[in-house]
Amino acid sequence: MARRYDSRTTIFSPEGRLYQIEYAMEAISHAGTVLGVLAKDGIVLAAEKKVTGKLLDLSSAKQGGYGGSGEKIFLLNSNVVAGVAGITADANSLVNYARQAAQRHLYLYNEDIPVELLAQRLCDLKQGYTQYGGLRPFGVSLLYAGYDPHYHFQLYHSDPSGNYSGWKATCIGANNGTAQSLLKQEYKDDITMEDAIGLVLRVMSKTMDSTTLGSEKLEFATLTLDPATKTPKAKVYRPAEVDALLEKQGLGKKDEDTEMRAT
Amino acid sequence: MNSFVSRFASTGHDVELRKAREAFGDEDESLEMWGSQAGFGPLSKGVPSFSVPAVPDPSAFLRLHTDDHADPSCRIKIKHGTTTLAFRFRGGVIVAVDSRATAGSYIASGTVKKVIEINPYLLGTMAGGAADCQYWETYLGIQCRLHELRNRERISVSAASKYLSNLVYSYKGMGLSMGTMICGWDKTGPAVFYVDSDGTRLKGDVFSVGSGSTFAYGVLDQGYHWDLTDEEAQELGRRSIYAAGHRDAYSGNTINLYHVKEDGWKFIGNYDVSEMHYEGPAGVGYGYEIRTAGKSSANPPPEPESQTAQT
Amino acid sequence: MDISFALTGKGYVIVAADTTAAHSIIKVKLDEDKIKTLSPHLLMAYTGEPGDTVQFAEYIERNIRLYQIRNIYALRPPSAASWIRRSLADSLRSRKPYSVNLLLGGYDTSTHTPHLYWIDYLGTLASVPFAAHGYGSYFALSLLDRYHDPEASLEEGLATLRRCIDEVSKRLIVSPGKYKVKVVDKDGVRELDF
Repeated sequence: MARRYDSRTTIFSPEGRLYQIEYAMEAISHAGTVLGVLAKDGIVLAAEKKVTGKLLDLSSAKQGGYGGSGEKIFLLNSNVVAGVAGITADANSLVNYARQAAQRHLYLYNEDIPVELLAQRLCDLKQGYTQYGGLRPFGVSLLYAGYDPHYHFQLYHSDPSGNYSGWKATCIGANNGTAQSLLKQEYKDDITMEDAIGLVLRVMSKTMDSTTLGSEKLEFATLTLDPATKTPKAKVYRPAEVDALLEKQGLGKKDEDTEMRAT
Repeated sequence: MNSFVSRFASTGHDVELRKAREAFGDEDESLEMWGSQAGFGPLSKGVPSFSVPAVPDPSAFLRLHTDDHADPSCRIKIKHGTTTLAFRFRGGVIVAVDSRATAGSYIASGTVKKVIEINPYLLGTMAGGAADCQYWETYLGIQCRLHELRNRERISVSAASKYLSNLVYSYKGMGLSMGTMICGWDKTGPAVFYVDSDGTRLKGDVFSVGSGSTFAYGVLDQGYHWDLTDEEAQELGRRSIYAAGHRDAYSGNTINLYHVKEDGWKFIGNYDVSEMHYEGPAGVGYGYEIRTAGKSSANPPPEPESQTAQT
Repeated sequence: MDISFALTGKGYVIVAADTTAAHSIIKVKLDEDKIKTLSPHLLMAYTGEPGDTVQFAEYIERNIRLYQIRNIYALRPPSAASWIRRSLADSLRSRKPYSVNLLLGGYDTSTHTPHLYWIDYLGTLASVPFAAHGYGSYFALSLLDRYHDPEASLEEGLATLRRCIDEVSKRLIVSPGKYKVKVVDKDGVRELDF
């Protein structure tokens, strides 16, 4: 009989649960990890790409004009970068919605949308899909890394139910429990960007399935303030930049590569 | 018959003009060339002598063919936009004017002399119809000289301005357009009179006339007092015309500055409004953005921000 | 015939508006407040078509408040200005446009910056260090070009405002008798005896 309460999002189960939402969240916990850390002078975002197979042609992988391969990390507005975990197709739809919401705010108020407001806009949409009949919820969680003059750097998380919350450091997707506890141990208030980058990569390397990190599995982005203009500056790393960064942090795959070549 | 009478009559402007011309030995222009009577329609016949155009109704003619009054779309545009000012102070009279002539939205000239040098002791300013001002103030100069010759003393500013006032009043309603300040130094000291084509004549300390006058007044009134030094007064005149040249679209280009003292007027200089904006008369630009460059109304709290952004 | 002035200084905006409500040749009221407090750090002086002015000002006031309730924070002055401008621009293209001219003064607490905007009924928006509406502008703008100091103290700013008001009283035929003067700074909005 459980199916009576499974097949419709708008129906509560006798225990007061909305199964479809929970299934959506379950789907996300299998998705590639996305990790965010709030530093005092910026935010770091990293995401794990699930490689679907060796035969997948990545040579023509699209590169957004702002860098990155556009699979997990997206620039929503000049002041907000988001990492997505869940059903990619749903995520694309949400990203598109977020970008439009940000532009609408710019049109009306001539300012970058405040970060929390953007999270709210998306959550209003997500919530709607938990309620209206015949519709399936978005199987996507997002991490929003943003800046606005009200609260400066902020990190938010939103889930398929339409809940959102602010974090100093958090993680969504596969192994998020492990990552969360690692972050809890190692996070310090007033952490600098440099330390935050190190922390993020360290945690990522421990939680990801594969033993090595590389640009084919990792997406990376930062948000800082331009020292000259005092405006937010988002940087979504290009694959080559990701590899360079990993090398600099001593997490590159050079050892394995040489091993592979040797064998 | 009437033309014969008026030719020998001893009153009337045209007659005065003829006499003046005779005094100057300048007889090759006939009176007809000045448009005085030469069969000029019914208006000039029978009634003794105003110099009016050869049309049945001059004021109707003007209304029809100029932008005076209601119809701004007509072909002949009379110069309206202007800023002129004059003020009296301990050290004499400062006269300052702009040099722009406009015809509608078109800048017809940027080098107009709007100060008319009536004689070495008298200056008149030009606002309204350029031709009207130029002609009648030159004419006023002739009369002032004749007064001097006849009475063995210079005409007072009061008398000169009254002469002009009476003259334009006699043409009232016929389309004259003048707003002028007659400035000079006479037995009573520095004097400024405002005279316009309505017939208004006012004695005063501070006057500004023209479309930019409000802007000039704003600066002039706030900086004015009787005991200004010569330099301060000249600066005030220059700064006030600049203000109008900057804010009023119908004023600008350059500033002409005169100073009247006991021994007559002196031309102080010609100043480009743009140059005044950026460099000023002495290196410091009058322009608001130039004057306040680098200043900010922001008021951040005193504690230093330790923002060291990096990537 | 309404006259309003506003000017910025170091960390504040002063907004002044005459208090005369006129109908035909009659002064109907002598102490009308034409400056609305839109939010704790936002002021708006409004002039224009009688009826439209108050209706529009209240519409703006309630919507600014609604934004503040709906969202977590109040609109910052630049955003409020943009939204108000848009409201007027949309109104202009409607069946019955509002004929209202505004001076919007605000203090941005997040950047510690005073902001002043000149807005007219056509939907023109200009960010300016000083501003005026009505016949007062013809006398005050050149004066302010000369005397305004962006870093003036409140006392100096009020002295400059005094010059504007004196000049208008001196030169304008139908000059109003009294003005209401309000200031907005880091501590919010307050009215000043003037």
